[in-house]
Amino acid sequence: MQEFDHIEALWAAHTVDVKISSDEMLKQAKKDVNNMRTKSLLNIFGMSLSFLTVACLWLFNFDSWTTHAGITIIVVAIAVYTLILYNNYRIIAKSDFTVNPNEFISQLKLYQLNRHKLYNQLYWFYAIALSLGLVLYFFELSTHFSLWVQILFISLSFGWMILCSTLVRKAVIKKDKERIALLIEKFERISEQFKEQQ
Amino acid sequence: MNQKDILFKEIFDKNAKKIFHLCYGYTGDKDSANDLLQETFLKVWQNLDKFRNKSLISTWIYRIAVNTCLTYLRAEKRQAKDELTENIIENKMEEYSEKNEQVALLYTSISKLEENDRLIITMVLDELPYHEIAEISGISEGNLRVRIHRIKQKLTELYNQHARI
Repeated sequence: MQEFDHIEALWAAHTVDVKISSDEMLKQAKKDVNNMRTKSLLNIFGMSLSFLTVACLWLFNFDSWTTHAGITIIVVAIAVYTLILYNNYRIIAKSDFTVNPNEFISQLKLYQLNRHKLYNQLYWFYAIALSLGLVLYFFELSTHFSLWVQILFISLSFGWMILCSTLVRKAVIKKDKERIALLIEKFERISEQFKEQQ
Repeated sequence: MNQKDILFKEIFDKNAKKIFHLCYGYTGDKDSANDLLQETFLKVWQNLDKFRNKSLISTWIYRIAVNTCLTYLRAEKRQAKDELTENIIENKMEEYSEKNEQVALLYTSISKLEENDRLIITMVLDELPYHEIAEISGISEGNLRVRIHRIKQKLTELYNQHARI
């Protein structure tokens, strides 16, 4: 039967080998941070490019108010969605890892819930806004094209949206859901531990 | 090499072993502990400019490590299978001794404690002052003392149980 003193002595006498050296760690940290920055910048760049491309349509002359309304709806939807994505990113980016674990975990939980909302209710608002915008936009434009081109435009646009709303969205939600489930399970377990100590 | 690089390397050399203890105690697994150690120092690198000397740098790093451990998802497959096989072989080749066995047993016992308790006890064993542990874990010092007493009892019990098997 050992006492706690034995555990303390054993701990004090043992050494561990850290597999990575400070040079390797520095190299890796720089590489990882650059990768994260690039990924995040590419994301923002992609969304900004979509925003500008759609906004550039205003440079053409359109007669019908429906076209302008369509472009406005699409541009606003992209801007709002980008802003939401950016705000969510900021929750994590501004997170101070030096605050105590409870505060940090509650911030992380908020981030996860926001992501969940983003892929569920908000996604449908985004999809509806884009569909409505496209319908209004094609209203005037369709008169300039033959029936086959009209059908091709509509099929491609809505086909792409259906693909994103079903297969792509489902895959992303599934991945996110698994992560959220694991995190929630862990948060609950940790909160229980805090309750016990009070 | 700039000032930040030099500072980071100095911080890593001074704190890596203690942070590894914390992560190893939390996961009970060397490879996961290494992943957590790297994740912690990646965050240290990212946030080094934000450190304002309000607390000790070691306290600051411990907090980052504690938060990293608590948000670590064990179920995630972090390594490819072939890498795992290599690690298993490497671990098997480690020198066998009674002391090594006792240390492994100690880490196993620590990993059987509750999440927060694992982190607290590794800091206690690494002789961090109580006020620092309280600051890092977000628990009042009064509560912490009672808690540490309970954790010590529980750990001794677990260690003895495993030693008998």
